[in-house]
Amino acid sequence: MQVYLPIAELSMNLFFLVGIGGAVGFLSGLFGVGGGFLLTPLLIFSGVPSSVAVASVTGQVVAASTSGALSYYRRGQIDLHMAIYLVLSSVLGSFVGVWIFGLLRAAGQLDLFISLGFLILLGFVGTLMMTEAVRSILKRRAGIVVREKLPNQHNWFHGLPWRVRFKKSRLYISVVPVLLLGFCIGIVGALLGIGGGFILVPALVYLLRVPGNMVIGTSLLQVVAMMAATTILHAVTSQSVDILLAFCLMVGGTVGAQFGASAGKYLRGEQLRALLALLVLAVAIRFGISLVIPPSNAFSMAVLGAGGAI
Amino acid sequence: MKRLLLATLLALLAAPAVLFAALVAPAGAEQLVSQVSSEEVAITSSFAGQTLTIFGSIEPEAGSKQKFVEGPYHVVITVTGPLQKRVARKMTNQFGIWINTQQAVFEEFPSFYQVLSDSKLDTITNPVTLAEDSIPLDSIGIGKTSAPYPQSELFRGELVKLMQRKGQFKLNEQGVIFRSDTFYFAQVALPSDAPVGSYIAHTYLFKGGAVVAEKSNGFSVRKIGFERFLGLASHQQPLLYGLVCVMLALFTGWLGGVVFRR
Repeated sequence: MQVYLPIAELSMNLFFLVGIGGAVGFLSGLFGVGGGFLLTPLLIFSGVPSSVAVASVTGQVVAASTSGALSYYRRGQIDLHMAIYLVLSSVLGSFVGVWIFGLLRAAGQLDLFISLGFLILLGFVGTLMMTEAVRSILKRRAGIVVREKLPNQHNWFHGLPWRVRFKKSRLYISVVPVLLLGFCIGIVGALLGIGGGFILVPALVYLLRVPGNMVIGTSLLQVVAMMAATTILHAVTSQSVDILLAFCLMVGGTVGAQFGASAGKYLRGEQLRALLALLVLAVAIRFGISLVIPPSNAFSMAVLGAGGAI
Repeated sequence: MKRLLLATLLALLAAPAVLFAALVAPAGAEQLVSQVSSEEVAITSSFAGQTLTIFGSIEPEAGSKQKFVEGPYHVVITVTGPLQKRVARKMTNQFGIWINTQQAVFEEFPSFYQVLSDSKLDTITNPVTLAEDSIPLDSIGIGKTSAPYPQSELFRGELVKLMQRKGQFKLNEQGVIFRSDTFYFAQVALPSDAPVGSYIAHTYLFKGGAVVAEKSNGFSVRKIGFERFLGLASHQQPLLYGLVCVMLALFTGWLGGVVFRR
């Protein structure tokens, strides 16, 4: 069944859209990430203009993260105090990100930047996750009891000025790294149409030493708030949010995420992380290859100025 | 005597006029009467492209005493979509990665262009006549650019190729079908991603390699109903549109959590 997308200005199969939403939702439920980093490239490869894909996926990420954030909130596993700092700085970051997005689009380097951004980010995060997961799997095989890192181990930047007490996370650290982290994730999220959960979670764990039970909930809340702001910003600045496209993805994504979450119970943590790392690396390699191999056609085209007529 | 003089004078005056009339209205001055099957193509949620029929007949020019026209005729129809500002870019290899390094911006480049004819264009007329009317897909008249000359034509050619691959530019040399000596029709397939806006179907009538009549018909492609409402809202109330998107997302996420909670 074909459905006409009014902003993307093309018809796509409804079941295809709900299907990829569902498939990515399943993976995001399984691994506890937003799934934007998979959905945006998938849409671009299936013919949706990259600006519409990035802007509409931000809407989908909001939906995908909401149900998760709510259930963590009910269990009291969100550090609201830290989330406020993260959200404020990341909204500021997404303003900058949307502005850069416009500049790159006008200069014709948006696609290059999206590819490079995904390559560097996913390659880096994927490699880190892979080494960490493989190491813990090997340790478990060898029978060594894996001890979680203590939350009160401090890094040098925890002692910077403006120290704030985060009661829920049992931390007394400077807000500077928190704000900086939020700001960077805001920029990256707006540019690449990703929630940044897969950067934020490791950053909260390894850099800020937030306790494990607070990490996922706080990160999800931050993703919801930041992507909501980014959706509105994209709608205002480039009018490239396709509400129908986003809705089809949302429906598939929310359903898929539930199944993914229940499937996740049958896999061990480090196995999950290794699988996610494989997935992240695969996407990174796909982008890397597209940058290096000669394109089938050196020429490309784009429409300049405001989007289509009504 | 006086009357004879007057008659001669009149005859002398009238003769060139009669001669002139015979020259400007040669045997076979024709006009085109044409019509597009629908003047408005509505894009609804199930829009998957639409085929339009352009039909017409060749008739003697209005006011002439001629009863019929004589061929053989050839008909070429160009269908031009709304004009856009389009850019063509070229990637080159810099330090091992492929980057867009050159570009040419084309103002007023058609977003849709189809040429339909009843036989091969080069058998209908010579390339010069075709170029004068900017009929071929890669005509210089299509889209104005500020890029310098040899480069501009390279990019124009590539842009046309890209548009052809996308299905928006097409040359169909069997697109016009004659049902009789003077009645023709042509079918234009608008793809599902046909650009929205006003279109012009321009019909050229060729006889002996020269254009003897032309006719323009307009039609428009526009979103109606919900699609139009969404398109308008995203442009006129972007802030509200964005807020509604976010509310919808929050609601869907919340609903998903409630429905599946066990």
